[in-house]
Amino acid sequence: MIGLTAVRQALDFGELMREHRAMVFSVAWHFLHDRDLAEEIAQDVFLSLHKNLAGIETPAHAGFWLRKVAVQRAIDAARKRQRRPQVALEDVAEPSVRPPAGDPMLGEMLRKLIATLPETPRMAMILKYQEDLDPTEIAETMGIPLGTVKSHIQRSLALLREKLERRGVGER
Amino acid sequence: MDWLEQELTQALARKEPAPGFDGRVRARLHRRPQWLAIAATILVMIGGGEAWRQHQGQVAKEQVMTALRIAGSKLNRVQVQLKGTEQ
Repeated sequence: MIGLTAVRQALDFGELMREHRAMVFSVAWHFLHDRDLAEEIAQDVFLSLHKNLAGIETPAHAGFWLRKVAVQRAIDAARKRQRRPQVALEDVAEPSVRPPAGDPMLGEMLRKLIATLPETPRMAMILKYQEDLDPTEIAETMGIPLGTVKSHIQRSLALLREKLERRGVGER
Repeated sequence: MDWLEQELTQALARKEPAPGFDGRVRARLHRRPQWLAIAATILVMIGGGEAWRQHQGQVAKEQVMTALRIAGSKLNRVQVQLKGTEQ
């Protein structure tokens, strides 16, 4: 009986890892802008899931749990690094020509600009545009008020728009 | 959704970790019992050390008791001799 439960849990764990590893890794990577640290955090999150698997009721619960833990671990790691985002705004390259829509250069510039935002708005933006969560879900995941989430997203969008326009990247 | 939000959705799309991620997590999972074994060994060593200390304490206690018994019997003998001399 115990053996069967262990086998079932091992199978479930493998499926959960396949389904959610990109989400967990990307939350940490987009937040920290450091691939190695993001990998380490993603591994830690799944080890923690394995330890707490008995308390996970449904696949949807697992997804919510993993996202919440990934967000918390990424924020903790950033605080442990004890410095401002590794990418300073001045380091974000000026494009020589206006990049077309979906251009990898523009994508990289946006990721670097996101990395310069303070912790809370940065994570709110990642959860909105990576995870497609609505403000209520973001507030629940991050444990902050709904109004704070909304104002962070509005202000961050305005700031990004301004920075991009200054670099010659505007509405097409 | 305006152009900036569309660009953000593309820029922040989910990415897979480096190939072999699942294997690396499983390797760390299997590494855990080694840590448990090391922790168990340390606990046994600490327990063994404590038992040895208790044994040493017991030996010392017995030596003190023997010494006290010898000293007591010698004192008794001296006392008896003193009484004999007085009489």
